[in-house]
Amino acid sequence: MLEIQNLTKRYGKFLALDNLNLHIDKGEIFGFVGPNGAGKTTTMRITCGLLKATSGTVLVDGVNAITNPEDIKRKVGYVPDFFGVYDNLKVMEYMEFYGSMYGMSKEDVDEIAEGLLELVNLSDKKDVFVDTLSRGMKQRLCVARALIHNPDLLVLDEPNSGLDPRARFEMKEVLKNLGAMGKTIIISSHILPELSEMCTSIGIMEKGHLIASGKVDEIMQKSKGSQPIHMRAIMDGYDTEEDGREFLSTLLREQPNVEKVTYTEDEVLIAFNGNDAEAANLLKGLVERNVLVSNFYREKEDLESLFLEITGGAKE
Amino acid sequence: MKKKFRINPIMKKDMMVGARSIKMSFAIMGINAFLTLIVLFVMATNSMVGGMSGYDYSSLSYLFLALGCVECGLLSLIVPIITSGSISGERERQTLDIMLTTPVSPFSIALGKLGSAMMVVMMYMITSIPVMAIAFVLGGMSWWALLGLFGMLLYLGVYVGSVGVFCSSVVKKSVMATILTIVIGVAIITITFVILTVGLGVKSYEATLNNANNITVGATPMIMMLNPYSPLVDFFIRTMSSYSLYDLIKETGTLSAGYSKIYQAWIPISLVLNLLVSFGFLKLAARNIAVTRNKRRK
Ligand SMILES: Nc1ncnc2c1ncn2[C@@H]1O[C@H](COP(=O)(O)OP(=O)(O)OP(=O)(O)O)[C@@H](O)[C@H]1O
Ligand SMILES: [Mg+2]
Repeated sequence: MLEIQNLTKRYGKFLALDNLNLHIDKGEIFGFVGPNGAGKTTTMRITCGLLKATSGTVLVDGVNAITNPEDIKRKVGYVPDFFGVYDNLKVMEYMEFYGSMYGMSKEDVDEIAEGLLELVNLSDKKDVFVDTLSRGMKQRLCVARALIHNPDLLVLDEPNSGLDPRARFEMKEVLKNLGAMGKTIIISSHILPELSEMCTSIGIMEKGHLIASGKVDEIMQKSKGSQPIHMRAIMDGYDTEEDGREFLSTLLREQPNVEKVTYTEDEVLIAFNGNDAEAANLLKGLVERNVLVSNFYREKEDLESLFLEITGGAKE
Repeated sequence: MKKKFRINPIMKKDMMVGARSIKMSFAIMGINAFLTLIVLFVMATNSMVGGMSGYDYSSLSYLFLALGCVECGLLSLIVPIITSGSISGERERQTLDIMLTTPVSPFSIALGKLGSAMMVVMMYMITSIPVMAIAFVLGGMSWWALLGLFGMLLYLGVYVGSVGVFCSSVVKKSVMATILTIVIGVAIITITFVILTVGLGVKSYEATLNNANNITVGATPMIMMLNPYSPLVDFFIRTMSSYSLYDLIKETGTLSAGYSKIYQAWIPISLVLNLLVSFGFLKLAARNIAVTRNKRRK
């Protein structure tokens, strides 16, 4: 579906993409992760025919995005990281406007837009002015807009940025539905857990290189097991706080997979190298020993730690 | 792909959005109020001059000249304002990128923006008909003169609009685009004028050296064909008198038959040349539109 070969992009002297290679199959939801400046947006804009590459090829369904930017525009739908809407334009007119840019008749657009607005959960906003929509609604509207010409590939640049949890959830639902419909989708983000929930495969990018890519499970597997556990326990039965801490530390160190126990102001931080089942066992063991655990959670997988792991560093 | 005539989508959208903003209504009202004031002023002074001998209606035909010139002047100011935000506004609103991911070409975008400006120009012309009609009814001008004037205004709108769209594609701020458009306009007028004056000066100097009574005019005045206002000048001379620009040129010196033909056809030739120039500006605008930038995070 999407085949990127030896893609290089320079901005003046700055090398933004360095011989990037990437392959995405049809029907895949591909998560593009990387810190700021990794080159995600650059890759996406080249794929959409918005930006010229310095060298390399980008094939969407066999069409070269670099030599045939005009043909690519009918195959790709793009939701940019930053975009605006017009004043004085209603939701349905907004869809009609973009449909007409693809040469579609008003009747065709209306019919398709009806379904798309339903998909992004904006059916009841048809006659609302677009500039009055909330940020999350605008994002979803922009997704619907990008689908108006039924593209083979949907490119979403940080569709979740600036959204509150509720709006993120709604966006996620929309994308899941699209995935179920068999669309090929690329989503960029710098938050890995968010992507791992809805993507089928993931590519991690840094400084213009793809440093890892593959199925979500494989990638997550590689990184599983090093997130610390945060814990709080009620230690009332001891003479001093010190005694309580002493006891808990000893107890914890005896448990399997526990590497290090440190105290922060009001928490116990446990460096833990097991998987989720092993973490659950740790909790069970503590409870069986009558420790009054009031709070127990494992730090979420974040990009930073994954990076450090993949690039060979270790998180402290 | 099926080829079918369609209104440029950008023009259609701009018209819809424009019609919903109150700004345009106010602008058109303001312009017509201004034109009406001029009519009243001319009529008032006219009746004072006429005094006891009665009202001299024939001099009201000069209203046509006055109103025509004022309309051209206003147009030259309004069109840069309308077009100034055409591209820079889309950039600022971050809608240009999305536009560029559609199959609509940058040139069509430029053309659509010019088209929406021309729609406003047209509205402005149509609403001014009642005021203009005073000059015709009372001053005895023909309706052809009005039609001619409208043709000229449309042409001027296209010219100034193309420069405006180009400037909007270059500059970030709308105000700067307006100023740049006017600066380019003034520069074109000044440069053509300077070349003409210097050219004719050199010619007359040569004539004195050769002790000739007359200078041979030759091709020098042709530079003025690139002055976007020159066809308007010829048009006004022709409608207000039995002369033309050609007659004025003829009086400056001797003219060969070939050049005579050219100068007699000043209006069509100049119109074609200037429309080619506007086309060039639109092409340049399209080139600038196609250059997209990655927005940087603050
Ligand atoms: N127009 C430009 N001119 C010069 N350098 C640029 C330009 N656009 C991007 N860059 C640089 O290229 C690199 C990659 O940028 P890009 O926007 O692709 O990163 P990104 O992965 O999308 O990051 P972010 O998470 O901030 O969106 C950055 O270091 C950026 O500074
Ligand atoms: Mg980006």
